[in-house]
Amino acid sequence: MGFSLVAATAIIGVGLVMAIEIIVGITLPTMTDVHESLKDMKNRAIDQIQTQISITDVTSTSNGSNYDINITIDNIGSVTLETDYFNVLINGTQNAFSCSKPNIYPENEVYFNVYNFQETGSMRLKVVTNNGISEYYDFTIP
Amino acid sequence: MGFSLTGTHVIFFIASVIIASAVSGVIIAVITDVTNSLSERGERVQEQLDTEFKIINDPENIPTSGSYYLFYLKNIGGSELSTSNVTFNLFINGDIIATANYNFSESSVKKDEVTTIYISNSEISTGDQTLRVVGPQAIEDKFSFTI
Repeated sequence: MGFSLVAATAIIGVGLVMAIEIIVGITLPTMTDVHESLKDMKNRAIDQIQTQISITDVTSTSNGSNYDINITIDNIGSVTLETDYFNVLINGTQNAFSCSKPNIYPENEVYFNVYNFQETGSMRLKVVTNNGISEYYDFTIP
Repeated sequence: MGFSLTGTHVIFFIASVIIASAVSGVIIAVITDVTNSLSERGERVQEQLDTEFKIINDPENIPTSGSYYLFYLKNIGGSELSTSNVTFNLFINGDIIATANYNFSESSVKKDEVTTIYISNSEISTGDQTLRVVGPQAIEDKFSFTI
């Protein structure tokens, strides 16, 4: 009887150890991944709160029958912004652009250029940063 | 009698090993199922936390292309988004848009990039409107605009 009890206890003990190993082996990586995602989300939210831009000037110059538009943007927030992922909308339509720098550091300004723009008249410009913060500016192409 | 006692012990031993093995097996099976479900739940929570997008149109100037209105959806989350009629549902003023009446310019959009949603103009009348975009894991964004 004594040996049977020892054997049964040993088998159940091994089973419990295996169960604990399964719990730790699967749950810990999941918790780590969720924690990383939560941290990333928190950082994105903080970046969005700390992001602010100002469009300080927009000029247009004639380029044949079209116009080149030069947009000056100040980073008045406290986050470095990646200009490759900005979006420039003029009268609602997204336009391709080039930028003088790959990043805008806080308290710095950069120039965005939209080439061969075809319309004239009153324009409403919207610039969207890589994290979705936007700014508007009204200007006229004569 | 001596043989009977030994036989009884052997029977008790085998029975106890079988019962102990069965108990262990059940415990391990239950723990594995629960842990796997927990892991899948964790993946869904992770996807929810990583998913974030925004409609970046100018609300006063919605561009058109043929018989479609164009809406720009920017992925501002932490992972690539699958963009299709299955993963996204659209609502105009609370009414769901039939999947046949909208489509995306790309099947997926990477982090920080923009995709275009084409919505048939038959779904949107003039005046003030609200577009609600519901994406993966029911993450959503609302956008008010004027046609």
